[in-house]
Amino acid sequence: MIVLEGVSRWYGQVIGVNDVSCMLKPGLVALLGQNGAGKTTLLRMITGQLRPTTGRLTVFGEEPFANPNVLKRIGYCPDVDNFYENSTGRAFIQFLAELGGMPKKLARERTEEMLQVVGMSHAADRRIAGYSKGMRQRIKLAQAMIHNPDVIVLDEPLNGLDPVGRHEYIAMLHSLANEGRLIVVSSHILYEVETMTKSLLLLHRGRLLAEGDLRVIRSLIDQHPHRVRVEGPVPRAIAQATLGLPNVLSLDLREQEGYVEIEVTEPEMFYRELSEMVLSGKVELTGFSSPDNNLESVFRYLVTT
Amino acid sequence: MNVAEIHGLTVRYGAFTALNNLSVSIPEGCIGLLGPNGAGKTTLLKTILGFVDPAAGGGKVLGFDIATQGKQIRQQIGLMPEQDCHIPGMTAVTFVAYAGELAGMPKEHALRRAHEVLEYCGLGEARYRNVETYSTGMKQRIKFAQALVHGPKLLLLDEPTNGLDPRGRDEMLDLVRSVSHGKGVNVIVSSHLLPDIERTCDEVVLVMNGQLRASGLISELKKIEGHPYDVELREPCPGFADIAVKNGGELLDSRSNTYRIIAPGVREDAVKFLLKCANEAKVQVRGLIPAERSLEDVFLNAISDKPTFDIPGAEK
Amino acid sequence: MSATSPIADLTYRDYDGPMNSADHRWWAIAKMMMRMAIARKGFWACALLSGWFYVVMMVVFYFVDVAQSSVGPAQINYFKTVNWKDQFVTGMSTAQLFLFIVALIIGIGTIANDNRANALLIYLSKPCTKLDYLIGKWVGIFIPIYCVALVPGLVFWAYIAMSFREYGSVSSAPWVPLQLFVISLFPACILASLCVGVSSLFNQGRTAGFTLFGIYFIANIFTKMMQGMHFVAPDNRFITDLFYSSIDGLSFGLSKLAMFTDGSLPMVQKAQAGAEIGRPDAWFMFPAFIAVCALSVWIAWIRIRPVEVVG
Repeated sequence: MIVLEGVSRWYGQVIGVNDVSCMLKPGLVALLGQNGAGKTTLLRMITGQLRPTTGRLTVFGEEPFANPNVLKRIGYCPDVDNFYENSTGRAFIQFLAELGGMPKKLARERTEEMLQVVGMSHAADRRIAGYSKGMRQRIKLAQAMIHNPDVIVLDEPLNGLDPVGRHEYIAMLHSLANEGRLIVVSSHILYEVETMTKSLLLLHRGRLLAEGDLRVIRSLIDQHPHRVRVEGPVPRAIAQATLGLPNVLSLDLREQEGYVEIEVTEPEMFYRELSEMVLSGKVELTGFSSPDNNLESVFRYLVTT
Repeated sequence: MNVAEIHGLTVRYGAFTALNNLSVSIPEGCIGLLGPNGAGKTTLLKTILGFVDPAAGGGKVLGFDIATQGKQIRQQIGLMPEQDCHIPGMTAVTFVAYAGELAGMPKEHALRRAHEVLEYCGLGEARYRNVETYSTGMKQRIKFAQALVHGPKLLLLDEPTNGLDPRGRDEMLDLVRSVSHGKGVNVIVSSHLLPDIERTCDEVVLVMNGQLRASGLISELKKIEGHPYDVELREPCPGFADIAVKNGGELLDSRSNTYRIIAPGVREDAVKFLLKCANEAKVQVRGLIPAERSLEDVFLNAISDKPTFDIPGAEK
Repeated sequence: MSATSPIADLTYRDYDGPMNSADHRWWAIAKMMMRMAIARKGFWACALLSGWFYVVMMVVFYFVDVAQSSVGPAQINYFKTVNWKDQFVTGMSTAQLFLFIVALIIGIGTIANDNRANALLIYLSKPCTKLDYLIGKWVGIFIPIYCVALVPGLVFWAYIAMSFREYGSVSSAPWVPLQLFVISLFPACILASLCVGVSSLFNQGRTAGFTLFGIYFIANIFTKMMQGMHFVAPDNRFITDLFYSSIDGLSFGLSKLAMFTDGSLPMVQKAQAGAEIGRPDAWFMFPAFIAVCALSVWIAWIRIRPVEVVG
C-alpha cells in the first residue's frame, strides 16, 4: 500500500529522514525510534504534508502530496492537540467529515457511529476545552476513521489513556487492521507496542535501522549474545557450575540481588546443559529466564550500538 | 509514620461527588497511585496538595491539615505536573532557583541548590540555556528538578515519563528510583503506565469511584495462590502439560508456548519436577519463572465488576 | 566531606537550610519581576528619557541664571515669572509616554507569556495562591514604574530647592515633595493594573502589547478631539473632563488635582495661559481612576481563576 524508495527529506542542513526504502502492507505496523529519529517527518510525508526532497514515496501507487485521491483514503491522528476548543466533540467530528467532502446527512450519521465506536457518545455535546486527554485521543481517532480510510496513521495515540482505555483502543486497532486496512502506529510505549503487533519499522537518526517481524529481528541479532538470568539460593554456586561450560561468554554475579546473568553464544546447547545440571543435582536454582526477548531490549541494543 | 492520612473524606464539585467517604493512609517510601480516569485519582492528588474543600471528613499530609494548611503542605511537597510548564524567559538555573525562592528559600541558597539539583538530574552545561530551547527529555528533567529544589519530604510525580522516548524513560525512572530509595525522599507516582510503576514503586494505592479500591505491596498483590510457575518452552507442546498433570501437577493456563503450572509437593522440588516433565516430553525449557500477575492484570481485575481473583488489601 | 572518608558524597542530599514562611509569597514573585525588569536595557533607556523635561528645564534654568548673573538682571527677573509648582505637573505629563513604554517593556508580556508556558502550574505547586500571583505581578510592575515616575521629579525639586530658594521655589509650593510621592502613584497604579488585565487576556506578549498600545492610541485621539472641542466650548465642564480620559490623561488630570493647580505651559507668560486646559473635576477623575484599575485587575483575576494544577 505504501512504498518508499530511497526517500530522504531534510530541512536546511538538518536531516529528517535519510534514504529510507520499505514497503508497508495491510496490517498493524509500529513505527519506533527515539525523539528526533525522523518518525514525525516520515508520517508527515505519508500523509501528504511534506514532499520528500529525494526519492519516491507512493501511497496506493500515487504521491500523496496535495493529492485528494490519496488523501481521502488516509486517516491521520496527529500527536498534537489542536482542536477548536469551543466546539463540542460532535460538532468537531462532523465538521471535519464535511470538510472532507461528505454530504451533511451522511456526515451526521457517520459521526454518531464513530462516537459509539470510540465510546464518546455520552460526552459528545460537551465543549472540547473540558475534555481530558484520553477523551481527546478518542475524538482524534473518530475523525481519523470517519471516512472509512484504507490507511490510518496514528502518532502517539495511547498518551493519556488509562489501562482500560488502552486495551479498548488497541482492540479497536486490531479489528480495523483485520478488515484489511494498514494501520501505522508511532509510539514510545514499547511494552504496549509489543502487545499490539510484531511488525516493526525502527528509525534511528533518520535512517531505517530495522524492519520486519520482531522475532526475526531478535533471532538475527547474533552478534548480541543471548543473556540468561538464573536465580537461586546461592548464586555464586550457580556461577561456578556454569562457568565451566564452553559457550558461556561472561557472567555477571549479583549475590545481593540473588541472581547470575550469563551471556551465552549457543542458547540451544546452554539450556540443555542447564537442565541436565539441575536434574543431576549439580546446580540448585529457583528459576531462569531471558530478559532479552522483549521489544525494549531489542530496541535498546539496536539503538545504542 | 505515614506521609498522608485521610479519613472519611468527601469532596463535591457542585452535584458531582468526586471522593466519597475516602479513607486511605499513604505510607513512607515510593508509592504508586493508580486509578481509571475520572474516578477520583486527580481529586486525591489535589487533596494531597491541600487544594480541596472537604464537604466531610479530613486528613493530614506530612502533619499539616489538608483543609486549612494547604500552603504549608505545598512548602513541604514537590510536584512534577503532567503538563508542559515552565516560567518563560529564563535559563534552567534561574528557573529552578526561582522555584526554590517561590517555595520560601532565600535567594543565595536557592541558586546554590538549583545547581546541585540540576547536576543530580544530569543537566550539564545545558543549564545555562533558555528553557524554551529544550527537548522533551530535558524539559521533564527540569520539571523534576524544580520539584526537588526546596528539599521536599514528599515528591508527587504526575506521569513522569510523559512524552519521553524509551531511553529518556529509562533515565527518568532510574532518577525516580534513586531519589526514593536511599535518599529518604518519599515519592508518590501517579501514572497510567503500570510497568513504570512496577519499576519504581514498592506499594500501590488504587482509587476508583471516589473510594479506595485496593492497596498494598506490589509483590503481595502480584502473588498467585499455589506458587505456580510459568514454563516457557522452545515450541508449543501440549504433551508437556499432559505429563505434568499426570504426575500430580495442576495446569492453570497455557498460551502458545508458555504453560502456567502448579507443581505438586514442596516448592523446593518444583523446578526439578518441571524440568523432568519437559525431559520426558522431549522439549526444551527456555524459561522457568515463578508466575506473577502483571500489575496491569491486578489493576484491571480490581476495577472490574466481576473480579476473577481476590486482591489482598482490597475493600470489600 | 564526612569525617571518615576523603571522598565527598556529591549525590543528592536533603535541604535543611533556612526557609521563609509560606505566607506573603507574592513578594518573591514581585522581586523576580523587578529583577527581570532592571536587567533590560530598554527599561533604563526609557527611565532616563522619561525625565527629559526636567533635564531641559535644569539646563535652561542654569544658563539663564548664569546669563543673568553675568549680564545683570533684565527688567523682569526670569525666575520671578516661573510657576514652580506647575513644572512638576508638566514634568509628569511629559513623562507619560515613556512610562507607558516602560510598561510595555516590563509588564505587558508577563501574564500572557505565562499563559502560553503554563507557568501558573509551577506557581500553584509551590505555596503561592492565585492571589499571591496576581498581587506579585501587579506589585512587580507597580514599583519600577513608580520609581521611574518619582525619581526625576525629586531630583529636579532638589535642584530648584537648593538653587532658587530666593525666588520662592520652596516657599510657593512647600508640599511638592510629598505631592510628588502621591502623583507618582497614579500612572504606576493605572499602568500596572492595565498591564495585568490586558496581559491576562492573551497568550502572547506581543498581542497583548499591541492591544494595550491600541487602547492608548485610540484614547489619545479621543482626547485630542476633546481638546479641539474645548476651543469651541471652553466652559463646558464635561468636555474638560473628557479631555483627561485617556491613559495619559488620567495621570495628568489627577496630578493637577493632587497639586491643586490648573497647570500652565512652560516658559509662557501668564497672559497666554489660556491655551492650557484647566484641571478636571475630582468627582469624575477619582471614580474613573478606581474603575479603570479595579476593572483591569478584576479581568485578570477572572482569567487566572479556572487554572487547575492537576488536571
